[in-house]
Amino acid sequence: MFTKALSYIFIVFGLVALYMSTSRKAMQFVAEHRDHDKWWGSYQMKHGDLVSLSYLDFVKRFNPPPDHTPLKKASYTGQKNIALYLHGDSYSYHLPDSAFAGVVDYHLIDRNHGMNYHLDSTKRNILVLEVSERYARAYYSSLQIFDELCDSLIKKKSIASCGYQRQLYQASIIPGFEVNDLFNKYINQNLQANLFNYNFIFPMFEYKAALNYYIFNRASGDVVISKDRNFLFLKETVSLTDVGSSYAPLTGGDIDWLVNKLNTIYDHYKENGFDEVYLSIIPNSATIMQPEGYNGLIPSIQNNKRLRMKVIDAYTAFKNSSELLYMPGDTHWNTKGRQLWVDLVNEKLAN
Amino acid sequence: MTFNSLQFLVFFMVVTLWFFRLKSQKGRVWLLLVASCYFYMSFIPEYILILGGTIVIDYLAGFLIEKNTGSTRKFWLIISLIANIGALAVFKYYNFFIDNIHTGINFFGNKLSLPVLEMALPVGLSFHTFQAMSYTIEVYRGNQKAERNFVVYALYVMFYPQLVAGPIERPQNVLPQLKEFRGYNWDNVKEGLARMLWGFFKKVVIADRLAMVVDRTFAHTIESSSTALFIGAVFYSFQIYCDFSGYSDIALGAAKVMNIRLMENFNQPYLSRGIQEFWSRWHISLSSWFRDYLYIPLGGNRKGGLRRKFNVFIVFLLSGLWHGANWTFVIWGVLHGLLVILLAGKTIEKNRSFIYTACRVIVNFILVTFLWIFFRAENLGAAWEYIQRICSFIGGSNYIGIGGVEFVFSLMVIAIMMLRERYGKGFFIASNTRFYLYTAMMVLICYFFGVFAENQFIYFQF
Repeated sequence: MFTKALSYIFIVFGLVALYMSTSRKAMQFVAEHRDHDKWWGSYQMKHGDLVSLSYLDFVKRFNPPPDHTPLKKASYTGQKNIALYLHGDSYSYHLPDSAFAGVVDYHLIDRNHGMNYHLDSTKRNILVLEVSERYARAYYSSLQIFDELCDSLIKKKSIASCGYQRQLYQASIIPGFEVNDLFNKYINQNLQANLFNYNFIFPMFEYKAALNYYIFNRASGDVVISKDRNFLFLKETVSLTDVGSSYAPLTGGDIDWLVNKLNTIYDHYKENGFDEVYLSIIPNSATIMQPEGYNGLIPSIQNNKRLRMKVIDAYTAFKNSSELLYMPGDTHWNTKGRQLWVDLVNEKLAN
Repeated sequence: MTFNSLQFLVFFMVVTLWFFRLKSQKGRVWLLLVASCYFYMSFIPEYILILGGTIVIDYLAGFLIEKNTGSTRKFWLIISLIANIGALAVFKYYNFFIDNIHTGINFFGNKLSLPVLEMALPVGLSFHTFQAMSYTIEVYRGNQKAERNFVVYALYVMFYPQLVAGPIERPQNVLPQLKEFRGYNWDNVKEGLARMLWGFFKKVVIADRLAMVVDRTFAHTIESSSTALFIGAVFYSFQIYCDFSGYSDIALGAAKVMNIRLMENFNQPYLSRGIQEFWSRWHISLSSWFRDYLYIPLGGNRKGGLRRKFNVFIVFLLSGLWHGANWTFVIWGVLHGLLVILLAGKTIEKNRSFIYTACRVIVNFILVTFLWIFFRAENLGAAWEYIQRICSFIGGSNYIGIGGVEFVFSLMVIAIMMLRERYGKGFFIASNTRFYLYTAMMVLICYFFGVFAENQFIYFQF
């Protein structure tokens, strides 16, 4: 009887775990209702994202004191008449409008939420497409982040599809649960979060990370330690096969394909009323901090003679800077890197 | 859903516990079929339609073959074979074929652009089509009655532990087991779980650790030293063995927990004293499939020495092609075939000294290792370059992707694995206390020493 009851408990537990880990709404609900300070709370990212991914919080070198230096206010004295549309990723989140020169109307567009805009023709409408190097090829080669551009091209019969499938399954079986959730590709990460991401289990992760770090001289999982051992890199940015890697070999065809797509994007937004469209690819930290063997993706795109889109060249500025511009335990830039990029944008806006 | 994922562990727990709560075999078969569909669809949901299509055709063909005689019987077998081989030809070999046509035409200075298929290869296609073909062939030969129950037949093809990477089963072994109700058996559960844990150990502690070295050396061939490349090649031999046999251990263990016995797929192949012996110990279910359904029907060794050699060559050529639509696999298969043909007369003498036997094992291992280079390399040029650099004994970077301590650790776990498989006595542990201790120890070892990088099993791509 006891065994029978126990087996039913485990069946229900397993089904609930699978459901929770496949339903986006359930995951969101759990995330919002967990008390992070209690023993059952989830592990909180205290340092950089890579430090957290590899559980190397105990290595001081990767965890310098936080730097809260704010962005400088743009020292622009001319007329403010720019409507700036910044289409970006986690690098450009939370950038205040006060940092940009001559901007009277500021739109920060999260690329995950589509590109909606209503241009005011009395203003100088500028679109800046900011993308981190590791996403550049994946995102721009299929145009998947520009829904309305895709629709427009399909209508013009320029393309048959956008190279990806948008929301194939929309049927709702249970409230808050869609068929495509059943095959959620993030289910393993979600299961890990639901089953093991608790403060009381965290020491186990840290023991494993310490074992790998001190005995095998490496980080765990998706994180790689730099050759000089001062930085952490995301594995996909340094592997030789990943599309987002700084070292994965490129072919001329890759660049041509990407330039064609960028030109399509450029033409579309110019036709739709933008006065200028800029591309700014933010280099992977490995590209700058460990440049030997770099595949040259950014210069190959930026220096391509066929590229019509204007460029905000973060690569050259970062490469030539003597300052440390990335956080040692994070995929992102530090406050100096952020300021340098904003200054580059302002140079373009002011002209 | 790979076996080395959390999703599989939770899925396996739910399905197995539910399986034993059901009181009828009908319910169990339905449960396993639904679970197998979910398992398969977790890779690419739409591809279930391809699998479903071939299942329906083979199920009907089985009936029609049994019902008819003479040429009609043969006709339905051919229809079934065309459906299965056709699925392979379209989804696996079409682009390879077109690529080669393009290359050939471009070589003569002409331009031609034929359409290519823009879709990923359905997971495990080669495995389940071969398993389905073994059913219709056995029905045709009269060794197996056509299965009346569609759900049972569908489960025979789709049984999730062996759906995507084998073992390639025979209907005579699996179908009766799917129809027989067997109660909960603690001994089978213990044996199955112990085997699964051993499979996980081989995958996450050995194979995925060695992958760090293999990936590095195959990607940095030009700047690596001969020593580094040789280590990379040897590690690949162990990586592919631990990866594939680890998968088989998990598959056989998962089935055993549910009282289903699947055929063994490996028998310590790296202890083989010759290439022919190697093929009787490596991927046994595929070797025996080719033997039973291709080599023997072609005449086997019954039609003289020359014909036997030709038959062996054809089998190995197709075996190479079965693994993948790339010339690297074809050459790998052809070279194995040539070695089997050339070394066929070299029988293994009994009662020879340990040193003699050890030397033969080492020589055979090195030979197999060199041939694996073709299997692993991106293309023939890369494989040839890798081999050339090993043989030229030139210097270069000795970095192999891991540090010295981890290198020694890797050798240690390989030695443990080889000794365990040579001298271990199966997976059954009679004492409950010892079983619990073994389980706890293996879980801790897999967690602390496992490399978790979401690496798929190598044979999933076939």
